[in-house]
Amino acid sequence: MTQSPSQSPTHDTQWPRWEVFKQDSEKRPYQAVGSVHAGDPDHALLTARNVFVRRPAAVSLWAVREADILSATPEELAAHPAVLDTPGEADTYHVGVKKTHKRSMTFVDLVGTVQASGPGEALRQAQAAHADALAWLVFPEAAIARTDDDPGTVESWFAPAKDKTYKQQQYYGVIGKHVGQLKREGRMPRRVNEEPHVADHKVYDHPHDQPARTLEANAADVEVNP
Amino acid sequence: MTAPAPLTLSETQQAALIRKLTALADDEIILAQRGGEWTGHAPILEEDIALANIAQDELGHAGLYLELRRALDGSNPDQLAFTRDAAGYTCARLVELPRGDWAFTMLRQYLYDAYEAVWLDAARQSSYVPLAEVAAKAFREERFHLQHTALWVERLALGTPESLRRTQDALNALWPHLGQLFQPVAGEAELTGDGVLPDLNAVRVRWDGLVVPHLTDRCGLTLPPAGAEQPGREQHTEHLEPLLAEMQRVARDHPDAELW
Repeated sequence: MTQSPSQSPTHDTQWPRWEVFKQDSEKRPYQAVGSVHAGDPDHALLTARNVFVRRPAAVSLWAVREADILSATPEELAAHPAVLDTPGEADTYHVGVKKTHKRSMTFVDLVGTVQASGPGEALRQAQAAHADALAWLVFPEAAIARTDDDPGTVESWFAPAKDKTYKQQQYYGVIGKHVGQLKREGRMPRRVNEEPHVADHKVYDHPHDQPARTLEANAADVEVNP
Repeated sequence: MTAPAPLTLSETQQAALIRKLTALADDEIILAQRGGEWTGHAPILEEDIALANIAQDELGHAGLYLELRRALDGSNPDQLAFTRDAAGYTCARLVELPRGDWAFTMLRQYLYDAYEAVWLDAARQSSYVPLAEVAAKAFREERFHLQHTALWVERLALGTPESLRRTQDALNALWPHLGQLFQPVAGEAELTGDGVLPDLNAVRVRWDGLVVPHLTDRCGLTLPPAGAEQPGREQHTEHLEPLLAEMQRVARDHPDAELW
């Protein structure tokens, strides 16, 4: 995504890289969620679904080959203004903007489309309309591989994710008994590298150590969401 | 509209249903274990994740079947998965075979996914409501698996001479084992008659209609001759025992474990 358009791609034995855009609901914009390597559009969508939609909600996915995307930051445009002259096909171009440095599951929102004579011209329009963006990207409508929107596809690609909720880490820490019950019974394991204990009391307190932590305090570290 | 009266199963029917649910779960558990063996070893990261997803889904289906069994006889799914030895498992030999290369893995998963998708599609109409509900849930995932593995079989068969050779070799090795998926367990016929279980002959016909054109017309593979009649699910290959030894090792080493 940050690759400057002026750099020629180095030799790469991997399959082409595709940027994946995910729409969480009909009312939400498509958002860039990451990339996959794939041999062809169908393969890109299948792997994108596996990598990005096993659990999070989605109703539609787009995959766009890296080579079909033109992206730039203000700094890059200042250094290489010729990027705005990048030639290509006249088409409807989708415009994506990055608005924040905040870490997030998504980093570019698609904000709309423009008619342009080529990617450079589309980027110029994106820059003009979203002057304060941290980065822009554009790609032509024709470059999009998209999932079908028939009920069968939605059912099999996207509906199962709704039943798969994220589980708290603690959920995986216990087989058969709730952590609280084990805590009450004084059977919570301590950290692997912890010094020996008899019941709740540390056996060999080093003089410089903090007072030995109680079992409950250790357990509280684990029990995020009882 | 009034709800239909709940189906009551005779003792014999219940025993047969337990046998069937266990066989279905065992296929899923063992295939999931084979799929899981690729974790960290698949050709590319994306496929590593995809196959792990598929394997997890299959294991999830095993959990669904074993919960249905628990409702019938109170058995514990974890106990069933992690304490039965090879003689107690009733999986088909198809899923026991070592993972092989990527072509073998994708083709086996494809043939199995197609079978499972067709079976589940029919099972959605089961007169035994708990099974119909489970089938509806699992069917959605299986349809997606099937798209993924069908794509791979096609890409490999139409790829390079080497990938074609490997895919054809895999088909030759797998084909003789497929008949077993369509063999009824003891007492299954009566349950099929009552609409509890799908008719395996009809499932086979639909499966053939789905799989054969894909393998031959679309992928240019040659179907091997039909294999001889297969022994039942009580007979295993030599590959099951080492698989279970690895899969069950932690559970067997720590039979009282409550934390891990």
